[in-house]
Amino acid sequence: MATLRHKAVKVLAVAVAASFAVAGISTPAQAANKYTIAFVMGAESDPFFQAMKLGAEQEAAAKGVTLVWQGDPSVYSPATQNPILDQVLALKPNGLVLIPTDPTALQAGHDKAIAAGIPVVNVDTHVNDTTKAVSFITGDNADGGAKAADTLAKAIGYKKGKTYKVVVGLTSATATTNVGRLNGFAAQIKKSYPGITIVDKAYSQSQPSVANTNVSNWLTKYPDLAGIFAIDGTNAAGAAAALQAKGLVGKIKLIGYDAYPANVDLIKKGVFTALIAQDPAAEARLAIDYLVATLDKDKAGIAKIKHDVVIPNVVLTAKSSAADLKKYTYVAK
Amino acid sequence: MTQPLYEVRDVSKSYGSVIALSGVSLKIHAGEVIGLVGDNGAGKSTLVKVLSGAHQPSEGTVILEGTERKWNSPHDALVAGVETLYQDSGLAPHLSVSANVFLGRERYVKGLLGKLGFLAQKEMDRVAHENLDRVGIAVPQSNRSVSQLSGGQRQAVAIGRAVSWASKVIILDEPTNHLGARQAGEVLSVIKAAKERGLGVIFISHTLPHVLQVTDRIVVLRLGKIVADAPTSTFDAESLLGTITGLID
Amino acid sequence: MSNLVNRAKSIAGNQQALLLLVLIAMIAFFTSRNSIFFSNAVFGNIISDWAPIVLIAIGETFVIISGGIDLSVGSTVAISGVVAAFSMRSLTEHGHGSTQTLIVGFFVSVATGILVGAINAFLITKTNVVPFIATLVTMGAGSGLAIVFTGGGPIGGGPDAAIQLSVPKVGPFSYPGLAIVALVIVLGFFLHKARFGRYIYAIGSNEFAARAAGINTKAYLAKIYILSGALAGMAGYYYYLRLGCGAPTSGLGGELQAIAAVVIGGAALSGGEGRISGTVLGALILTTVTSGLIIINVAANWKQVVVAILIAAAVLLQEARAKGSSSKLLSNLFKKKN
Repeated sequence: MATLRHKAVKVLAVAVAASFAVAGISTPAQAANKYTIAFVMGAESDPFFQAMKLGAEQEAAAKGVTLVWQGDPSVYSPATQNPILDQVLALKPNGLVLIPTDPTALQAGHDKAIAAGIPVVNVDTHVNDTTKAVSFITGDNADGGAKAADTLAKAIGYKKGKTYKVVVGLTSATATTNVGRLNGFAAQIKKSYPGITIVDKAYSQSQPSVANTNVSNWLTKYPDLAGIFAIDGTNAAGAAAALQAKGLVGKIKLIGYDAYPANVDLIKKGVFTALIAQDPAAEARLAIDYLVATLDKDKAGIAKIKHDVVIPNVVLTAKSSAADLKKYTYVAK
Repeated sequence: MTQPLYEVRDVSKSYGSVIALSGVSLKIHAGEVIGLVGDNGAGKSTLVKVLSGAHQPSEGTVILEGTERKWNSPHDALVAGVETLYQDSGLAPHLSVSANVFLGRERYVKGLLGKLGFLAQKEMDRVAHENLDRVGIAVPQSNRSVSQLSGGQRQAVAIGRAVSWASKVIILDEPTNHLGARQAGEVLSVIKAAKERGLGVIFISHTLPHVLQVTDRIVVLRLGKIVADAPTSTFDAESLLGTITGLID
Repeated sequence: MSNLVNRAKSIAGNQQALLLLVLIAMIAFFTSRNSIFFSNAVFGNIISDWAPIVLIAIGETFVIISGGIDLSVGSTVAISGVVAAFSMRSLTEHGHGSTQTLIVGFFVSVATGILVGAINAFLITKTNVVPFIATLVTMGAGSGLAIVFTGGGPIGGGPDAAIQLSVPKVGPFSYPGLAIVALVIVLGFFLHKARFGRYIYAIGSNEFAARAAGINTKAYLAKIYILSGALAGMAGYYYYLRLGCGAPTSGLGGELQAIAAVVIGGAALSGGEGRISGTVLGALILTTVTSGLIIINVAANWKQVVVAILIAAAVLLQEARAKGSSSKLLSNLFKKKN
């Protein structure tokens, strides 16, 4: 009985997933496209992936590629990503761009694609063993964290022999992006700015209002706080609001991450000392270029492929040019 | 012969192909208590639903004080003066005694607040107490919640509510069920008090001694038809049981 | 035996007093661990967390007393805040003044909440879907749409004055916070002193009896789901004021916080029971725990544990209350028979 119901649910899920996937293919309605490239990404709700999607769409159009863009609407998890990957592979795309939500759980699906003759590029995160993948393209989170440390130290006027308190607002204790940025930040402080102490950390569960509560209480608890590192877009939004509400804009230095349009506006108003931005669109463009070159068996193109690509983070400040601010702002609605 | 207070004429009710009532006619006069008895499935509860306005008859008419009426809901019948006490679940246990007595008939404070629906709670507490007292039911405090009352007290409140509001007819569906001898006795005396106030009382029960004790007339239903309608004095326990079961025709 | 009954009864009758004691004990505990807790600034943080939660929890109180449940309030907070953010951004871009923009934003937010509430009301009263399923549907649709509309990120670009409105001005209360307190008091009067509340208790206690008494139960149910939606819309607007932007993740899990506040406040999920004052204190306890744990440096995950204990305690208390009344009933029956 239970297994029967389970089966029925599975069949239904497959049917729904397949119909979505088919819809994804048929919408461009360009039969002339020579390749179909599938992106199986983390969570549709994240502006990071929205920005990546835009880059992928532009490059797919430019190269005459049909794009299949699939991922869970909001849950960043292998439990939801694995079935989606299976469905997408059943459609036999020519190439696959995978943003694995877990290095171990997605390895099997990753290898299955390669065994079926589908070239795979890992983007942003990677599976444990990428030797058979065409490439792994990522933004460098540790480098972003280190840049945040440098920028913050400079903004608070770091002097040797003095002590400073800073806090870090995170989304989760395990997300690889959070861990990478925090490690990069802490390592850089240890190495270059020993007078700075990270006095507190807290998690927002990707809710700006929770981040806001955390920062509001820290501002009360540490009257001598020097700076805040908000590790992603939602933490940045929550921390920015807390500084504005307490009238501490400019007095406490705030380094944010992720160039959401709302946050980029706040650089200009001086709320953010700086925002560290990734370039997800560039990651997507490069992934498509690599796959097209591989599929074309284009020797010159293939020669340019590097197995590990790190696209550096940029530091956006009030001094950044308008063109740069525009270029790196995550396009959202 | 005076005009009957409440009457159904040639009432039939079927649910799909099942005929629950066929050609039933019944009259009740002011100040009269009639007992409605019958085996399970005889059509008692269907007749109660027609009388109380919960169901509309498939055929036949419902007449109150000489005027044909059509009840769209029990509330219609209630407004016209026909109160029904349901077998179970007539009260809201979380509400106070007075809130139950006044449910759907609340009194409001004067002025703007009253227009906004603010309740005159003290007044309702007092009047509920008076009303219950008047019909012979003693409840300690009318602002206590019904869930704090004993089973007998709850039933007394439910009956008291029905009797105190009924202006014409009161239908009591199994009011003595699950009651001890003493509480049942109280219920029967409430029925007598209602009769004295000139109400028409329809008393539905399986407990035949109670029926024989308080009614003026007994109506026996069997298989959706009335098989007997006679003064209570013409029955004894044995003949009544025989009529119900069909051993006596 | 009767001593025990009396004790259970007196505890049950004083749920509010008990909650107040718990709250005072918590404040004392947090203050003893870090004296900065006992400050206007921290109380301001607590109240500004409390304000949106109490809004949705009050809506949930009405719904739960009626015997229903509203799972959609968290999503409604998100979608109404987001829709209001778009409208305010657009008005600001078109050069409208901030006062005008903020007023329009308020009504847009509340209207969005009312729309979700009306969909719930329609599903529950017209198509007879049980509240749990009906509001599960709108919960999913609401949070999904909030993400689709925004692409996931917060929507800013509205009036700069928004955040300033969320700053405490009267003790720990901001002006919108005071307005919320006033609204809660008014709703408390309507629940406990007026026909509206009386009928909601009646419906939750015994829907059949309510209908038999001539109460249009469906109309009342529709009204409370719409009220719950409207209050969630206000909470969405409040979050906008606090953050200066509308985020699709604002209010995430808010339905569980609201239900927790209502249950801690002494309401029964089976309906017919509950008080506004209990919910107000329940929500205040939840937000006090949140801020307190940050101030004393305890990982936020402990909050879940503390909340779980509070809910368990509240439910046990309810059991005690139910037992109290049933044993009372028994003893009364015995008395009568003798």
